[in-house]
Amino acid sequence: MTAAPTTGTDQQALAEEIYRLMVGQGAMFALDTPIRQSLANLAEYLARRERRDPAEVAARIDQALSADARFTREVVGDEVRFVTTRQGAYVPRDQVDSHSFKQRLHDPEHPLPIDDISVVVSTSRPAITTVEPVYISDYWQMQVPPPVVEHVAPVEEAPLAEAPAPVEEVVAEPWVAAAEAPAPVEVEEAVVAPVAPAPVAAAPVEDVVVAPVTPAPVTAAPVEEVVVAPVAAPPLEAPPAAPVAPPPPVVVPAPRPAGPPRNTIFTLEDGTAIDLRRPVDELMAEHGDRLARLLADRLEHDPLRRIVSFGRKYYPEASVASLGKNDLRKIRDYILERGEPLLDTELIADLYYHNPRQQDYEGFRFSLNYRLHREKDFEFVGVEGAYLWATRGLPTIGGKRVKAAEMGQITAYLVEGYDDSLELQSIEAIQQSGSVTRMLTFFEWEYGVLPLDAGLAALLPGPLLPEQRSAVLRFESPQHYTTYLVEVRYPAGNRGGWLQGLEEFFHEHLVPGALLTISRTGEPNVFQVSYEEAPEKTERVLTFDEKKNKLAFANLSFYCAVDEDQLPGQSRFGRLNRLKAFPMGERRKSEMILEHVSETIGDQIGTPDAPRYALTLDDLFVAYNVLRPGSRALLQSLLEHSPDFSADEATPGRYIYTPAPSETVEEEEEAEQPGETVEEIQPARRRYGARYDEDE
Amino acid sequence: MDAKMIVFGETAIDRLLQWLRASGEPKDLTELLRQYLEILARAVREENE
Repeated sequence: MTAAPTTGTDQQALAEEIYRLMVGQGAMFALDTPIRQSLANLAEYLARRERRDPAEVAARIDQALSADARFTREVVGDEVRFVTTRQGAYVPRDQVDSHSFKQRLHDPEHPLPIDDISVVVSTSRPAITTVEPVYISDYWQMQVPPPVVEHVAPVEEAPLAEAPAPVEEVVAEPWVAAAEAPAPVEVEEAVVAPVAPAPVAAAPVEDVVVAPVTPAPVTAAPVEEVVVAPVAAPPLEAPPAAPVAPPPPVVVPAPRPAGPPRNTIFTLEDGTAIDLRRPVDELMAEHGDRLARLLADRLEHDPLRRIVSFGRKYYPEASVASLGKNDLRKIRDYILERGEPLLDTELIADLYYHNPRQQDYEGFRFSLNYRLHREKDFEFVGVEGAYLWATRGLPTIGGKRVKAAEMGQITAYLVEGYDDSLELQSIEAIQQSGSVTRMLTFFEWEYGVLPLDAGLAALLPGPLLPEQRSAVLRFESPQHYTTYLVEVRYPAGNRGGWLQGLEEFFHEHLVPGALLTISRTGEPNVFQVSYEEAPEKTERVLTFDEKKNKLAFANLSFYCAVDEDQLPGQSRFGRLNRLKAFPMGERRKSEMILEHVSETIGDQIGTPDAPRYALTLDDLFVAYNVLRPGSRALLQSLLEHSPDFSADEATPGRYIYTPAPSETVEEEEEAEQPGETVEEIQPARRRYGARYDEDE
Repeated sequence: MDAKMIVFGETAIDRLLQWLRASGEPKDLTELLRQYLEILARAVREENE
């Protein structure tokens, strides 16, 4: 059955009616939601309404809707459907989301060039830096010269005619005549013609070896036709397989022009070139120390403080555990309760019950040390391998007889170049043997102090932190099974260093002149102190009565070997008890002490009106070290540079001291009777001239 | 990465930080330096390849 011919107007009316029907059906649909209706349903509906043949109506509908742009005809199986939407023609929804928020968030419209992804991606929590604005007065802003703009000479553009034409612009002229041919043009890219069909089917393409193409002069042919002669492929050893269809021509891609190799050498600020192609071990061996210092410095000055350090250990700041006020108070109370500096491992074990086998143990240990280091109530007094912490309120090691400021000045001669402790033992020998032997002087014995000379410094561990001023070591006496805490005060600036805390050990077991040996142990903060034992001996030895503030001789029994020349006994140094026990602050004046000691123990070889004192360097060394420590190098320097001292040419090692005449000096004639306590000499300041006043 | 762009102690510090966090424990300065050099060498090598 054929449909009755309909005019265009009828079709439009029919399509319009069906459109209204379908839009009414999908009145609640979205504007672009497809509204589908089958041709059979539409025809049945209209045929029933118009009482016409459904087939005829179906034909009319199909014709009308197919011509209408608002409908889309679908055929699903045997069924014909028409699709439309409330907004007209149905347009399938584009599911590709090309402009999502997620995409816009991560992909900037105009991305900046990224040379190093590390500057963009950060896994660390950025610290909020608080940079306080600093107001700069207008005056200074006016004083600042305007920034100098470096004048760049304008580059004269070469005339176009002289400019070398880029290769890309070389227009291949058709060949006219060989005589008129231009100079051969170097063809940089090899153009490889399709390989002639060769039995390469069985061979992998990668094995096709392309012979190096020699750029043929272009004079013989137009450039477009520069064709390399068919590559003479080496005979590929393909098994004579069954004839196969001629393979497609193997197109060998033109080799990508290799760009210039990237630079692998970077330069440090001091001009040192580091080639990153070299193995890391080589770089470490050659530049390790310098690079380590540089890296540590950069990390230290990183404004974000992403990696923090304690000693030589480094850890991410974001991973450092925090300690609250309660933690700090708990730690401080515990240290005070124990009464001595404590190791970090002790604090962790006793207060936090952390086990070294726990995975985060080392991280927590670092956190504890790092946090305590930033607290003013705590002071780090440890060494590498033994992190000890002290706090305010702990008893002073070594007592208060010696003040740090005074001892720093008294031992300043060590940093001024008068340290001769390495004359008997070299640094290498000390480090190799792990022990130092030294003689004990009266000052060291009396106050339990040892100057930190180069010999001891070679044995003892240095400061771990840059600003560390002291460390606490444990000295064990294997001969007496006793232990002493010793504080090492490190040199700082023009002040020397020393050890204090051995007063009890010295007084109980030794006398001045004894030989003392300090040895290293397996623990970095534990040392052994020992001496050579000897049969009991009793001597009248110089002592210091602190209550009377006087030096005096007293009977002492000792069991150690001593250097008789250095023992300040009454039989040899009977005049030592006349030395004035100056306040410790006065003893830093090395010249004054030298003159006082020379007057006291020197042999009077002059007249009462013009006194002159003779003494040897050995005696002077013993007597000088009663009042303050001093090396032989210091004494020799003082003797050589003082106008009042002169060397006795007749007797090597003997010096003559001639005090400068002064009207104000009142000579005091004193009987030289050994064993008797004489009146104290109260040296008036004017007695030593104006030089000492200036020191004040 | 072109080595000329490297500022020692600043370039690729984030990668060093990442490694340090992943290790889970403090590291000695020597070990840190060794790792940093390896990171820089790897960055330069990757770019060249």
